[in-house]
Amino acid sequence: MHDTDTATGSSGDLAVDIAGLTRVEGEGSLRLKVRAGVVEQAHLEIFEAPRYFERLVVGRTPDEVIDIVARICGICPVAYQMTAVHAFEHGLGISIDPAVRSLRRLLYCGEWIESHALHVYLLHLPDFLGYASALELAHDQRATVEAGLRLKKAGNQIVALLGGRAIHPVSVRVGGFSRSFRRSEIRALREPLTGALEVALQTVDLVAGLDTPHFERSGRLVALRHPDGYPMNEGRIVSSDGLDLASTDWRTEFSEQQVGWSNALQSRDRAGQPYLLGPMARITLSGGQLHPTAAAALARTGLAGEIAVNPYRSIVARAVELVDATAEALDIVEAYQPPADPRQPWTPGPGTAAWATEAPRGLIFHAYDLDDRGLVTHAQIVPPTSQNQAAIEADLAAFAPSVLDLSRDEATLRIEQLIRSYDPCISCATHFLDLSVEALG
Amino acid sequence: MTSLPGAQPGAEVSIDRRSDEVQVEILICGSIDRGDDGAACVAGAALSTLLPPDVRLRVVGQLDIDDLLAIPAGAPIVIVDAATGLRPGQVVDLPIEELIRGKELIHPRSSHALALPEVIGLAELLRGRPLQGRIVAVGAEEFGLGRGLSRRVDGAIPTLVEAVRAAAERLRHDSGSGGQA
Repeated sequence: MHDTDTATGSSGDLAVDIAGLTRVEGEGSLRLKVRAGVVEQAHLEIFEAPRYFERLVVGRTPDEVIDIVARICGICPVAYQMTAVHAFEHGLGISIDPAVRSLRRLLYCGEWIESHALHVYLLHLPDFLGYASALELAHDQRATVEAGLRLKKAGNQIVALLGGRAIHPVSVRVGGFSRSFRRSEIRALREPLTGALEVALQTVDLVAGLDTPHFERSGRLVALRHPDGYPMNEGRIVSSDGLDLASTDWRTEFSEQQVGWSNALQSRDRAGQPYLLGPMARITLSGGQLHPTAAAALARTGLAGEIAVNPYRSIVARAVELVDATAEALDIVEAYQPPADPRQPWTPGPGTAAWATEAPRGLIFHAYDLDDRGLVTHAQIVPPTSQNQAAIEADLAAFAPSVLDLSRDEATLRIEQLIRSYDPCISCATHFLDLSVEALG
Repeated sequence: MTSLPGAQPGAEVSIDRRSDEVQVEILICGSIDRGDDGAACVAGAALSTLLPPDVRLRVVGQLDIDDLLAIPAGAPIVIVDAATGLRPGQVVDLPIEELIRGKELIHPRSSHALALPEVIGLAELLRGRPLQGRIVAVGAEEFGLGRGLSRRVDGAIPTLVEAVRAAAERLRHDSGSGGQA
């Protein structure tokens, strides 16, 4: 359901204008111009309306903020909740029960499973198998799509239980959760997760065998790293070129900037360069912390090196992370003991709160200032897609010359497929408000 | 401005009913927090007192394939959503199959990554039978963050409510339940 205008020529010219990108979350377009083999323009245009969340949370309590930011995205609300709750707890010096920490990790696993299963099976896989949509794929390969939906449903069940509902969960509170979870409730997840792990392992084998275009990107990869496990709720910010930074200090290395063609802010590092977040970066920078089952699955593919440079292989990275999230979720379910108190008491007060976690699409950073009453006076919310936008454009510019000799349809498909490799969530990217006030008179 | 207490995704606005009693299921799509995207939620609140016991109203938010797979066998549905491609405030009532065939006509907004026709198509394929029913959509103009409908969409809510009620009643009648809603 989109208009595409592509022109290729033997002189090395290419103009691609995809007015409505499909199989991405939200609404955006691509404008790409190559003249005589030289890329003149590569703009990922995000034109969904800005959504004002950073202003909306001003004057709110931390617990209200946690529920409000979950509304930024229907695919990854847990990422917003986790980042905000950890920021507030760190800023206010609140320690949580280890069992609460495990439950939060389980909740995040649920979101990763939901999001990755949706992307791998319904958004990205049709590209590789020659189908225009998941519906066409399902007509020919019903069992494949059913497997993906089964995986996604297991993630939904985790989020629905721990979050209180499957979309826009409501149970996360500063200090813990709004209620306690009985062992029997958590144990009920064992059966769907056991089946999901089997499907996730099959998914790795399926996607590792896909024929992917050859492309080697260069540029910085950035992710969290934590000594105790694959990065999700916590860790230090590390990069492929040696950065090692506390997650609270994102702003010392990175900053947001406005560009004329997008309603989303872009992010760049201190040197003004784009950087890439997400499954490719995590596997590359924290692959040593994968769950043993996921590490074995990755090793079987033999693709760890290619995942580091070829975005088309991100589907393999996502599949490995599906195994990781499912296997870890099962471990948490098996070992679960209810916390003594689901919610630590705390006292509102002033402070600065900042934290980063790993959303399915990559590192997400929040920062809040709190006044004496403990109400938010300023917020900064930096989702992964807006951070990745500049890297996506740089990669498109590097990749475009390689499709000049392809047919119009094939060139367009390769380019759209490349964009989908980053799983951009445009709804997330346009959450901000860039407010300017002009003084008159 | 019309308000909507309690209409959140996952909520059943009406009294819970056993699935074997349900003759028609109404699926309310959209988000009350995103301007006109909340039009169906507003209509749903008004409908909750107008429906007979065998019509179930469910607020699904973003319509998911699982929502459609959960529809009881043989129960027709009414999907209610805000859409672009219509005049703001314009209400249309289409058979589901027409939405899938004529997908350029209107664009319901509430299925996120997958277009609504694709969600319906996948559900039909996996159920092994077509979904029966209608989609009742209202043309929307403002999807920005914040509660409250634009003037023309707010003015169309009574029409939307009546269109949904009438569609459910027709489907209920066709499925053999009879009586007046």
